[in-house]
Amino acid sequence: MKVVFRASALVLVTTLAACGSDPAPEPTEQIVVREPGADVSDDAAPEPAGEATDSLVAAGKSAFNTCIACHVLEKGGANRIGPNLYGIIGQAAGSADGFKYSDAMASSGITWTKEELDSYLANPAAKVPGTTMMAGAISDGSRREAIIAYIEDASAN
Amino acid sequence: MADKQISKTAPKKGKWTRRAFIGAGVVAGGALVVGVAVRPGNPIDRLSPMLAKGDGEQLINAWVKIDADNIVTAIIPHVEMGQGIFTSLAQMLADELDADWSKVKILEAPADAKYVSHDIGREFLAPSLEVPAILEPTVGGTFLQLATAMNLQITGGSFSIRGTGQRAMRVAGAAAKEMLLAAAAEEWNVPAGELRAENSMILHDKSSKSAPFADFAAAAAEQGLPNKPKLKSPKDYKLMGKAIARTDIPEKSNGTALFGIDADLPGMKYAAVKAAPVVGATVESMNADTAKTMPGVLQILNMGNFIAVVADGYWQAEQALGTIEAKYSKTEGDTLDQDALFKRYATMLDEAGDKDGDVETEEGDVGEAFASAATKVEAEYKVPFLAHATMEPMNCTAWVRDGKCDVWSGHQAPLMARKAAADTLGIDMDDVTYHNAYLGGGFGRRSENDAIIMATRIAKAAKYPVKMIWSREEDTMQDHYRPSATSRFQGGLDKDGKAVSWSNIHTHLFDPQEAPTVPYYNIANHKIRKIDVPTHLRFGPWRSVDHSQHGFFIESFVDEMAHAAGKDGYAFRRELLAGSARHLAVLDKAAEMSGWDKPLPEGHGRGIAFVPSFGTIIAEVAEVDMTGKKPKVKKIFVAADPGFAVNPDGFAAQMESSIAYGLTATLFGEISVKDGAVQQSNFHDYPILRINEMPDVAVEIINGDHKRLGGAGEPGLPPLAPAVTNAIFAATGNRVRELPLSKVDFA
Repeated sequence: MKVVFRASALVLVTTLAACGSDPAPEPTEQIVVREPGADVSDDAAPEPAGEATDSLVAAGKSAFNTCIACHVLEKGGANRIGPNLYGIIGQAAGSADGFKYSDAMASSGITWTKEELDSYLANPAAKVPGTTMMAGAISDGSRREAIIAYIEDASAN
Repeated sequence: MADKQISKTAPKKGKWTRRAFIGAGVVAGGALVVGVAVRPGNPIDRLSPMLAKGDGEQLINAWVKIDADNIVTAIIPHVEMGQGIFTSLAQMLADELDADWSKVKILEAPADAKYVSHDIGREFLAPSLEVPAILEPTVGGTFLQLATAMNLQITGGSFSIRGTGQRAMRVAGAAAKEMLLAAAAEEWNVPAGELRAENSMILHDKSSKSAPFADFAAAAAEQGLPNKPKLKSPKDYKLMGKAIARTDIPEKSNGTALFGIDADLPGMKYAAVKAAPVVGATVESMNADTAKTMPGVLQILNMGNFIAVVADGYWQAEQALGTIEAKYSKTEGDTLDQDALFKRYATMLDEAGDKDGDVETEEGDVGEAFASAATKVEAEYKVPFLAHATMEPMNCTAWVRDGKCDVWSGHQAPLMARKAAADTLGIDMDDVTYHNAYLGGGFGRRSENDAIIMATRIAKAAKYPVKMIWSREEDTMQDHYRPSATSRFQGGLDKDGKAVSWSNIHTHLFDPQEAPTVPYYNIANHKIRKIDVPTHLRFGPWRSVDHSQHGFFIESFVDEMAHAAGKDGYAFRRELLAGSARHLAVLDKAAEMSGWDKPLPEGHGRGIAFVPSFGTIIAEVAEVDMTGKKPKVKKIFVAADPGFAVNPDGFAAQMESSIAYGLTATLFGEISVKDGAVQQSNFHDYPILRINEMPDVAVEIINGDHKRLGGAGEPGLPPLAPAVTNAIFAATGNRVRELPLSKVDFA
């Protein structure tokens, strides 16, 4: 069998040389609306206007997005993977109707003050060894504070 | 500045990762490790600052690092795009090194010329080059130079195992072992021949002495590089040939794996882009009045061939981009439609007639043989453009400052990406640090530099780090496509139904050069020609490259010849392969697996196809149910001889994924052009195979020659389409000559 091969090596090398190192062209039009950091911080998108007045509660609402996979926070709302958290502040641990708590949680004897919630959210497994709450270890104290503020605010409505 | 950057770009997870190591390269410049001895040919003095900065870490050669805890790190000069190559190449190295697999770690090599895969130059540029062993180093050296010049540090061509694995990873492992043994022999004052390595330990049986590799790592690095380290024979393999679990699976299952699109930098902003819909056109003007007022928007750029909006968030950038009205320049491509393109192919094929066009291969006299054939068969086949549709859309993050640039992406050729960024900025390659991550699908798409160049240009204009992400629409409409093509055949059969002539002319030849040829089939007279039909669209390698269309063309036509000869497709191919034991064994295995002779229910059919490509011989049998309105592909049987499957599970997975990818193209894959622009834009009109459409797949591997390995990533694909369409013919008598099947009315 006779196979004719083209001199593709040569072609490729030539092509490469041809595209050399002439820099690519600058923009033909550049509209700078704003420099970064001029009026918006890096890590938090602006909250939608008019929705929340209290910034801590607003931040908590945003942070609570982590929690809504398992918890609802509304009066009469159903328990899901985790219990409904409506009105939890001031309640005894393990007292949401119809939720099957771990033995550890049911017998913890905790009353959910803001402080107790804060220490639980910081490290659930350490606070209540044997809890079935898999997520929720929130190391950032200001996030915990915001979440608790949001739970309190939402429960007051 | 540099210190600040490294602390910020380090990955968030605590454990060691590839990203951490690649990030470490950024500040390597200030911390040169001075070698204590001259090490001819061993580049570790230069590489150590990048790769072995930690306490007790010692590079033995370019590919092996051993640390104080006796962890062996295999340094892999290829990228991981789901094909499992990190694991398989580490298996090859660790086996030759006799390392304890539970203590092997994997690092992706930095984008450095030392890791250029020069064998791929040979593979792509001169695939059939046979040279005497004595000349091998010279030839290899030539290709290394060539590859370095071309900046190939590429993962592609189903090449990593058969090229880098065989010629670099195994050799590096064996060499490192010999260096460790030599160091231990000196230390213990015993002949090296009395020592052996096992499970990352050096053992001296006579004295019952043993010590971990780590004890000798530093001394081993001072040993000369062995010229020809002894490689194992298959009976001594401990890791090669075993279905070892892939090391990247846990992080890809639990979501911690980092892909190019996951790049995250302090102060990073996002860019959404829209290129001129017709490739080659430029943005003449844009109206950004609305976009300017939208939240989060930082910059709006007319880059000539595309528009970019930079914003605080990607959604904001994308929303603002959508409001911009642009006028594009007129180009010659503007008038092109798909039908007209196929007509252009036809006209040019007509003009080429029996004689013109570039001859790719010729033997005997096809004109005479065809004229005097007892039975003449003629057919024309067509395939459309195809997009790659990687799950991770094209993206690249770049940061240009102080005359230097950092680039983060997932690219099949990291060194090429680095050069592309340097050329774009007009700076030296040494001033560009390229950080590669996992690729969320490659298939050839990520061997192109377009995204790298675009992101670098945006970052230069912005002067702060910018992550550019293509929308799915851009990804679909601005691909480098598998070419659409037309292929015409004439075949002659003698009075006994034996094939005597094979003539083919087709549009396009890209790569590999042998894709349109059939040297494995015994046909005395054959001639294969091509014509080039230029269009404004960009072509690129697509999984199995030209084999993807020629596999369909060739194996459809073989089936038509078999039918014309009154023969069964399997029996006809057996005749064509007579005398070639390895090929026959594969064909026979696929037939046997499928129960070829067993009857099927009414309306069902079996089809067989045989395509050797990328060094691997593959036959596939498809079983198709045609009782419904649409073809239902029920089963695929794959028999494959890759020489030796280093990781049989990984190999089988590549066959399965080739079938998923190939069946997507066979059933629905079509990119078409209207007014010069691609019509499809997202998964609603460029669908991907769904799980309920996936056939059962059975794979059997034949280890036919452990010295000549074949590839895995691509060769499973080419036989799939013709196996399916041949099965449709067997079931219905309906011969499919144009893909995809969604265009065919089977009612």
